[in-house]
Amino acid sequence: MTAIAAATVASTVAACGGSDDSGGGTSSGGGGGENEASDIGVTEDTITLGAHYPLTGVAAPGYSEIPTGVQAYFDCLNQEGGVYGRDIEFIFRDDAYNPTQTSQVTNELVLEDEIFAMMSGLGTPTHSAVVDFLNDEGVPDLFVSSGSLLWGEDPEQYPMSFGWQTDYESEGKIIGEYIAENFPDAQVGLFLQDDDFGEDGEAGIRQYIDDQIVAAERYTPGNTNVGPQIAALQAAGADFVVGFNVPSYTALSQLTALQLGYDPQWFYSNVGSDPTLVGGLLNRFSEGQVSDAALLDGALTTGYLPTVDMTDNPWITEFQRIWDECGGEGDLTNYRVYGMAQAYTMTQALQAAGQNPTREGLVEAVETAGGEWEGPVFAPFRYSEDSHMGTGGMTIERIVGNGSEEVQPVRITDIGDAPIEEYDGEAATPPANAIPDEESVVD
Amino acid sequence: MDYFVNVTLTGLTQGMIYSAFALALVLIWRSTRIVNFAQGSMAAATTFIALALIQAGQSYWVALIVALLSGFLLGAIVERVIIRPVEGGPELNAVIVTLGLFVAIQAAIAIIFGSSFQSFPTPFGVRGFEVGDTTIPLTPTSLYIIGSVLLTMALLVALFRFTRIGLAMRASAFSQEVARLLGVKVGSMLTLGWGLAAVVGSLAGLLIAGGTFVWPAYMDALIVFGFVAAIIGGLDSPVGAIVGGLILGLALSYVSGYAPRGSALVNISALVILIVVLLVRPGGLFSSTTARRA
Repeated sequence: MTAIAAATVASTVAACGGSDDSGGGTSSGGGGGENEASDIGVTEDTITLGAHYPLTGVAAPGYSEIPTGVQAYFDCLNQEGGVYGRDIEFIFRDDAYNPTQTSQVTNELVLEDEIFAMMSGLGTPTHSAVVDFLNDEGVPDLFVSSGSLLWGEDPEQYPMSFGWQTDYESEGKIIGEYIAENFPDAQVGLFLQDDDFGEDGEAGIRQYIDDQIVAAERYTPGNTNVGPQIAALQAAGADFVVGFNVPSYTALSQLTALQLGYDPQWFYSNVGSDPTLVGGLLNRFSEGQVSDAALLDGALTTGYLPTVDMTDNPWITEFQRIWDECGGEGDLTNYRVYGMAQAYTMTQALQAAGQNPTREGLVEAVETAGGEWEGPVFAPFRYSEDSHMGTGGMTIERIVGNGSEEVQPVRITDIGDAPIEEYDGEAATPPANAIPDEESVVD
Repeated sequence: MDYFVNVTLTGLTQGMIYSAFALALVLIWRSTRIVNFAQGSMAAATTFIALALIQAGQSYWVALIVALLSGFLLGAIVERVIIRPVEGGPELNAVIVTLGLFVAIQAAIAIIFGSSFQSFPTPFGVRGFEVGDTTIPLTPTSLYIIGSVLLTMALLVALFRFTRIGLAMRASAFSQEVARLLGVKVGSMLTLGWGLAAVVGSLAGLLIAGGTFVWPAYMDALIVFGFVAAIIGGLDSPVGAIVGGLILGLALSYVSGYAPRGSALVNISALVILIVVLLVRPGGLFSSTTARRA
């Protein structure tokens, strides 16, 4: 087993010579001046970014791989000249999915490491603990790895924070509509994490199938006995269970359902559905009885990013190349793809913030240009001055083996009572080396 | 009705796991009069040794035996090297040392075995038995857990009640000087007590891990519940530990299953149960005569 020995890892790739102010393969954007140490965390040749992830503990499976994807992307980017000739240094720290520790490591990142911006800080309960601090300190808090509405719903409250992935309410709405259209007779049970994650998802799904829901059961992260909750879903007669839960609880719910002989149609929201990860956790129990991710076979889930099994997707081809060239041990996983896709958006943001970026300029750049950015994510971001919400589109997929097949193309929506629409945009193709080329929108 | 049965059986299995851990605490208390906070991480350490063996291709049973033996060694070494120097001083010293050990061992596990979250196999099935046309949440693995815990309890009761060595261990724990005057090799008895307690702790760790997930801190929640179970039972009685564990397991399962947002109330309920039991019977349900409390 790989030991995650180092809690902090900084990019060690030395500054690449030979790149002038044009930033290697990237746009010359904001003119030909010289690089300056324009804000905290920015020097003439580096930009420092920070993040917090659960590298240990109950939420670590899968999520602990995200920073390795981010790191690999930035390492390859740095080899190509970084952004305006600056290397991206990425510092991430372990919070064990414990909000107290998140506060501590975020203090370290902001006050000791003096990061320019936070990116990809993971988790709803964890990031909630630091969102006020980051906004009070004026630290850009980009692309939080959580679909809570909190980061993007109200830019006046949190002007520095931005969501990235599809928020849980929009996801719930798209799932609810799908069930109403395709399983109108299903008796639906909800298996929810007892925090904003579960609440937002429930709020979305109830907009469409409130009358079909026969039970809503909540688990507390950390309490690994979900027997009573799964038994309650069974007792309520639910034959279709929608889970808004983290991956380890997908495994626990499957294991408990096996004990109970309970076999509904499962629908796991995007967060908890990675078949490789969940299958890997489950397959070691009493050899032969539970194996090959077979338990998840046929379960439904949602998607907003290409996954590793889509080997002919051009983004996956590029990310595979990046992982082979700049990644560490192990295979490319969906979590690493997620990290790389976030790093791609981050690179777009830094380019758009101009040659000598400031914290305010970075936020302005995402608000001004972010809605137009194309990338691996299926549907566009909703960034503007009035909304800091990330992408709002999702496919519905059926898990088959370690991959999935699409059962409903991308539909997009927004929070509240915004309608759900089919998305008719074209999928973007990656630019050369999967390095974006955005113009500066900040002077 | 089905639901009640399901919640009850889930609670029983869970309670048996608390019992197993409480049993180890009781054993060390009886044989050394020390509350060992490091019990949880010592058990986690031997569980990870077993997991490493299983991953290297050994059978579960070989891994189990090696884990129990290494548990005995670990317990004996801890007593000789770390506890011995503080024995005989104020009781609090030894307890604080075990608390430090708890953190240190957990860190050592993370360094040696990594801190990732891994599944731990079980030699028996994890599918519930079928009764008529329904499946009940009682699996071959839960029977294995229940059987092992009851057998261990019986062996411990026999050891303390019917053997000279058990008597000598109790004497050493109760009053070292008197025991020494009567010819008991107190030092060896204390080492033996720690070793045996660590064996039971290791067994508890393995039983808890079987068919679920482990990471270096996986015993943390169980340490709390195990202590509550042991104290409900009186901290002195193997039978009390079992009953305490079962009461706790059932109560928590009912809270989780019947109270609104029950899953979030589980930890608080454990505390409430503990307080109620201690108010009604300050020594715990199965405490022996108060005169023995040194």
